[in-house]
Amino acid sequence: MGGILLYILITAVLFGFIALFALFAVYAERKIAGFVQDRLGPMETGRYGLLQTFADILKLLQKELINPSAADKILFAIAPVIIFGAVFIGYSVVPWAPGFVPANTHTGLFFIMAVVSIDALGILMAGWGSNNKYSLLGSIRAIAQMVSYEIPVGLSLIAAVMITQTLNLNEIAINQGVLSTENLLFLGFWDVSDIGGILAWNIFQAPHLIVVYVIFFIATLAECNRAPFDIPEAESELIGGFHTEYGGVRFAFVFLAEYAMMFLVAMLGVVIFLGGWNTPLPNIGSLRLADWTTGLFWGLFWTLSKSLLIVGIQMWIRWTLPRFRADQLMNLCWKIMIPAAFICMAISGLWRILIMN
Amino acid sequence: MNLELFLFYAFAALAIGSSLLVVSLKNPARALFLFFITLFAMAGLFLFALADFVAITQIMVYVGGVLILMIFAFMLSNKELLADIQHISGSFLSLPSWQSILLALGFFAVFILGIREWNNDMPEWMLSNIQEGMVITPHDNNIQQLGIKFMTQYVLPFEVISIFLLMALIGAAHLSRKEESQ
Repeated sequence: MGGILLYILITAVLFGFIALFALFAVYAERKIAGFVQDRLGPMETGRYGLLQTFADILKLLQKELINPSAADKILFAIAPVIIFGAVFIGYSVVPWAPGFVPANTHTGLFFIMAVVSIDALGILMAGWGSNNKYSLLGSIRAIAQMVSYEIPVGLSLIAAVMITQTLNLNEIAINQGVLSTENLLFLGFWDVSDIGGILAWNIFQAPHLIVVYVIFFIATLAECNRAPFDIPEAESELIGGFHTEYGGVRFAFVFLAEYAMMFLVAMLGVVIFLGGWNTPLPNIGSLRLADWTTGLFWGLFWTLSKSLLIVGIQMWIRWTLPRFRADQLMNLCWKIMIPAAFICMAISGLWRILIMN
Repeated sequence: MNLELFLFYAFAALAIGSSLLVVSLKNPARALFLFFITLFAMAGLFLFALADFVAITQIMVYVGGVLILMIFAFMLSNKELLADIQHISGSFLSLPSWQSILLALGFFAVFILGIREWNNDMPEWMLSNIQEGMVITPHDNNIQQLGIKFMTQYVLPFEVISIFLLMALIGAAHLSRKEESQ
């Protein structure tokens, strides 16, 4: 029984973390939006508006759950749970620190790709269940976008996996730092197994992975339906997209799923390309910076700080770039990113055969 | 009853119950969304067969791809046609149903017979492998084995499937392209 209780505890802690992260991320987003648009952002509730999101969530929790009279009640009620559940299951295989991974499976990366695709089904369910033209249009746009952009995400992950030779996210993270059991080559010629640090990260083990990471980052931005890819939510045309009819706790779950997805893809990119929980500081001679800054709490620190940095960039992009048109969106995906990802995949194969052996 | 056994029966019950509901529900939209539960439960059952790769592929391909296409096809189809479908299903033992019941019972009998025969005399090589301990355990990494098998022993079927998928892709692109006006 102890084992089962531990699983439940880990799940609860993860949920708590995601909820807390979403609260602060919403606050950060408003502050960043304020900064970019040369205004202050929330300032009234608490000092510097720090309690604004807590006030918002209190309001959302108290609200009445309203079912539109023509809605399919079951689908309408289940959809937010599926949308959030799909993203939440994805957290189960991502490593946080050395020896600190909720589920250490050999198929971790593939598993995340699969469960995140369930998210699309939840969005379609929400759009159909609401029985509202705007919701349905928003969800159809969201699905078209997510299904298209899953291809560059998948191809960029394949390019990375050809270098790492494993689908186990824990092993991918280990093989990018001083704890690695394999030989790590910086740019393919300099053995950095003992030096570690930023030099041993995947993007520096094979430099074309920098391009792959950019493709991955852009494509996951579209998977999250974030600006500049937020035509599913386009306020000026569709009111709010697939979550137009939602209110109260259900809306809170849809929103929580969006922020959880942002953090999940940021963390996934960090684990696969940017060294996971490995420190960016290398060992320099007797100055063992990498050895000193590797460990359980350092691992948590590096994972969190790198992922939060990526989330920050996502927010910065959202408030800087204008929204794409639907045809521009598809052109970018099918004519630029997929061919580029294919070329990178070919380079990965050659790099593995010719240089890393 | 341990947890694994409980989960196995839970998944099995979920798969059977939801698939029964899929074929008997009058509302096709709900039936399609319920099909997701069936596929998900089937993926769970694959996990118990230690085929985690197949389980994940099932979710990725069927839930992330095929099911969404089916829902799209449903949304784009004609409303009168759907109304017709809703009127067809009558009583359980109506004329169009009796052949299918016969077929289902036949399959069921074959399954029962197969399981009985299997329990009585298992193939020789399996028994010897079990005695030598050459079996897959839940912690084995069989992804690498799968990759090697795909590229050596099963390379011809693998390539045939990929050519087939390429044909489908080219066909779809050909059907949907704009004809040049002459």
